[in-house]
Amino acid sequence: MDLSLNFQLLATGLAMGSIYALVALGFVLIFNAVNVVNFAQGEFVMVPAFVAVALMTALKLPFLLVYLITLIFMAFFGIVFQRVAYYPLRNRTFLPVIISTIGVSIFLKNAAQLVFGAEPQLMPRPTPPHVLNIAGVFIDPQHVVIIAVTLILLVFQYLFFEKTSLGKKMQATAQDKETARLLGIRVSRMIVITFVYSSILGGAAGILIGPIFYVSKEMGAMLGLKAFCSSIVGGFGSVPGAILGGLFLGVVEIFSSYYISSAYRDAFAFIMLILVLLFRPQGFFGEKIAEKA
Amino acid sequence: MKPKSVKILLAALLVACVIALPRVVTSNYWLNLFNLAISFSIACLGLNIVLGYAGQLSLAQAAFWGVGAYTSALLTVKLGWPVWLGMLAAFAVAGLFGVLLGIPTLKLSGHYLAMATIGFGIILQLILVNSIPLTNGSDGITTIPSPRIGPLKLSNANTFFYLAAVSLILLVWASLRLKKSRVGRALMAIRENEMAAETMGVDTTFFKIMAFALSAAYGGFAGSLFAHSGSHYISPDTFSFDQSVVLLAMMVLGGNGSAVGSVVGATLLTLVPEVLRFLKDSYMMVYAAGIVAVMVFMPGGIAGLVRSLPISQRLMNWLNAGGPAPSGLSESGQPPSTACEKAPLGNQRPASEGPGRNGTLITVKGLAKHFGGLKAVDAVDMEVRRGQIQALIGPNGSGKTTILNMLSGLYVPTAGEIHFDGVAIAGWKPHSITAQGMARTFQNIRLFGELSVLENVLIGQHSRSRSGLVTSVVKPSSQRTEEAVMCKKALEVLEFVGLKGKEFALAKSLPYGQQRLLELARSLASDPKLLLLDEPAAGLNANETEGLIELLFQVRDRGITILLVEHDMSLVMNVSDHITVLNFGKKIAEGTVEEIECNQEVVDAYLGTEHGGEECLA
Amino acid sequence: MLSVEGIEAWYGAIQALKGISLDVNQGEIVTLLGANGAGKSTTLKTITGLLKPAKGHIKFMGQEITRREPEDIAELGIACVPEGRHIFPGLSVMDNLMLGTTPWKGASKPEIKKHLDRVFQIFPILSEFKDHLGWTLSGGQQQMLAIGRGLMSNPKLLLLDEPSLGLAPVLVQEVFKVIKEIQKAGTTILLVEQNARMALLIANRGFVLETGKVALTDTAANLLNNEQMKAHYLGAHAHVREARQRRQAEPRATTA
Repeated sequence: MDLSLNFQLLATGLAMGSIYALVALGFVLIFNAVNVVNFAQGEFVMVPAFVAVALMTALKLPFLLVYLITLIFMAFFGIVFQRVAYYPLRNRTFLPVIISTIGVSIFLKNAAQLVFGAEPQLMPRPTPPHVLNIAGVFIDPQHVVIIAVTLILLVFQYLFFEKTSLGKKMQATAQDKETARLLGIRVSRMIVITFVYSSILGGAAGILIGPIFYVSKEMGAMLGLKAFCSSIVGGFGSVPGAILGGLFLGVVEIFSSYYISSAYRDAFAFIMLILVLLFRPQGFFGEKIAEKA
Repeated sequence: MKPKSVKILLAALLVACVIALPRVVTSNYWLNLFNLAISFSIACLGLNIVLGYAGQLSLAQAAFWGVGAYTSALLTVKLGWPVWLGMLAAFAVAGLFGVLLGIPTLKLSGHYLAMATIGFGIILQLILVNSIPLTNGSDGITTIPSPRIGPLKLSNANTFFYLAAVSLILLVWASLRLKKSRVGRALMAIRENEMAAETMGVDTTFFKIMAFALSAAYGGFAGSLFAHSGSHYISPDTFSFDQSVVLLAMMVLGGNGSAVGSVVGATLLTLVPEVLRFLKDSYMMVYAAGIVAVMVFMPGGIAGLVRSLPISQRLMNWLNAGGPAPSGLSESGQPPSTACEKAPLGNQRPASEGPGRNGTLITVKGLAKHFGGLKAVDAVDMEVRRGQIQALIGPNGSGKTTILNMLSGLYVPTAGEIHFDGVAIAGWKPHSITAQGMARTFQNIRLFGELSVLENVLIGQHSRSRSGLVTSVVKPSSQRTEEAVMCKKALEVLEFVGLKGKEFALAKSLPYGQQRLLELARSLASDPKLLLLDEPAAGLNANETEGLIELLFQVRDRGITILLVEHDMSLVMNVSDHITVLNFGKKIAEGTVEEIECNQEVVDAYLGTEHGGEECLA
Repeated sequence: MLSVEGIEAWYGAIQALKGISLDVNQGEIVTLLGANGAGKSTTLKTITGLLKPAKGHIKFMGQEITRREPEDIAELGIACVPEGRHIFPGLSVMDNLMLGTTPWKGASKPEIKKHLDRVFQIFPILSEFKDHLGWTLSGGQQQMLAIGRGLMSNPKLLLLDEPSLGLAPVLVQEVFKVIKEIQKAGTTILLVEQNARMALLIANRGFVLETGKVALTDTAANLLNNEQMKAHYLGAHAHVREARQRRQAEPRATTA
């Protein structure tokens, strides 16, 4: 068994998994808050990636400044998205909402093409382009950055939701909106904050993954779908589930595409999904929500 | 003019349009577009069956379209089969794949199901791309032959159009016939409330798989139409998740649940983008924005919009005179005498024999249900005697509803036996138990909300009727007799509970008390030996509870045994011949009303001093 | 303290309230009675702001609160314990209670502690379970938590929507005892109930709703003796024995 190769695969898998985790997290937060399956979540990654590339190539700004501006842009994006895509649909049933978010996804993809052009673009790397050699294992430094940044974001996430009063209010809003209003919690404000937070997570994901993949209008599509798979595998509606599901899926995908078949690389996430749905539909961390008779 | 002659006139008009269209529209480009629209329409018709009727969100329709296209293309190109055979094979093979998707996803619903179907579709597409020796991979399959009718080759768009249009009309007709039949009602019951459907006797497993198979088969046939026309070329790109989304959008635009709507939606969304082409680069954005706008302002689609116009309601009432009206279209009830078609002379089912007054109907021994470490029900022994009204009471969490759920088959017991009229039923599926003669109502009312009162009660008779898929579409006289008999019985039951005249109201529009009565009617319609009632008095005021008490006595006098779970002591004390008391999953007492009222343990655990204790001899 | 005048409210095309007027004076328990669907919960919804009435006025302590947002109304000192308990299942008992203080602007830490202690004194079981998550509590315990949470905002007016719903009879008696205690401690209460008898035993006055209108209003004592009330709403217990004895005396209709 080539140990160093496997560590390498593991590192890559964790990096991909971190991205899935970030996108899944953004998606789960929206779902918990407003019960909407956001099929445009992948575009939350695509849009900031394009914005960042444009800032870097057109204005030649330094990396950190670009990242800051991109994240601020995504915050505003979240506010606009909430107002335009979610708010008009807040009382609609399940099916129109799904189609609507899919419609928004198509709109965003084509808008990006219109603004930024149809050619896939390359995002400049903030990390050196050569692999690091850590004890015989070759790791791409960008992967290290991805994992590290994700970890920091997750710690922040935990502290925010579990230890602050605002975090508790957001949890309450997600669990029971009407009652939260009766208690004086400004629910509409909480919802906007949720969308903003989710967009910023997408922005972070877009910035982190941009240097590794081509930035194109389709880059978010598979990402979004795999993020949904992650959250289901981890336990739908569960925040730790989304994170662990994402990491797990990333690792499985990388190992499978190396050892089994790289042509079917995209299939593994969905195969995992179907297996989990067959044998443990509540995912690893979800609660069995049986319907009460 | 009578409704029937109007229908004939409309049919003739339709035929005339079909014949005329290729002569009026001579551009090959536009005819091909129409053929494409028909192919999409048929795929949407399929989606309408699985999603519109049965409520299962499938986002894999484009994959089935692809399976059909590839099956037909490969068989005709590589094996030289005749095209019509290839098309039939496409229908069958796609249907098989539909079963393949339906079986593992049975327990899923909502977005879980959606994701699983997306995954299925993506995996299928990847297989198509990567099985190069079989499918030529991304290069696709070219020079797919045109269909032949005898010596005539349908190689032009205008000749192919006739084949496509005739297929479309037949499939729309079949879908419409299916909707107003026992199978159609079963599918819609599953959509409205799967748990209730299962306990009303609908084998939800079978029907869900049937829905998937049918919708996939429609999709596959549509795919083969696509393959043998137009550019006579297929490649895996066309059968992507994005395409499934387009099909979904077409169906929802047309109106979820409307067969004609699916055709309208598909045609519009195929033709309109052509009109928008002048927008060049931004045309997809306008298209997408348009879809969002439709979802915001017209979530019922075009069909929903048309139905809500007052003139359409009157039109549909008139056209449908002489048959049970489709749900939601008639709020002002027609006179009951026309609600059911006159039955063609045929065999009437024998009336069920009246059961005797004595003997035990249900015996429960050592029944237990553990949820992980929690013993919800802990080794309970119980008997329900025939012809009695028995109550099961106890604090919340004492296991009452769990026992009811085990009796009706919603839970599988962890241990113990249940004998119902001599048959061991522990672990049986709910629909089989219903067929044996047990019916139930629910604590949180589980009506089929979007269906009419009459349809709700007809579904209650599902286990006492037999029409299958083919007879539901073809409607031979045996099927029509069965429908008429069921309809008549439904009206009788509705009159018995006091809902006469409300046959065509939407179930969800009834006030609360009447909804409870409808649930009762629906259960009674299945001719049960035993009726399980879960908190039937919840939400009723004292007056309504009095009415319920009277009704329960009448039900018992018809020979039906009743077991009820209830918190309302005024009901329980008034009605029960026998009471069983549970606490923490165990039986702590049983006996007559007087015995229970004076049982100190029961008073302490549950009744409190308001309802028990007093007037008992020390 | 609270005055409701001529409220008309609609759910889509259905008119749920057709002109409701009622009032609650400081220190009272006023109970709102009626059948399911009569409009009791709907009336509460218009008071808390969850439903905006089409016509009419609601005044609280002299201020006009008609059509204001629930968050603002909560800050004015009206707390609502909704029907079906509605505690936050994924948060602990402590978190639930502390969230109850949200509308109490300017509350100091010692004041909050005092209220918390008082809630624990009324409901000792909540103190025992304070780190348990909401969904693990039984129905009765959840009801206690919901009421406790309502008290945490130091409300001037407490609205209770069907606190006895779904509870075992012995627990129902507990809950009504507690409501009476809360009144004694100085909180004004508007109580919506289907269990008319128990509600009237602790209330000062009552309003009876029928299909969106006030059909009857009087002191609680008078309502308990009212013949109409006895026939329609107080059925329950007194009726039971007589009715059963009557039926047992009748020869039963039998089938073959």
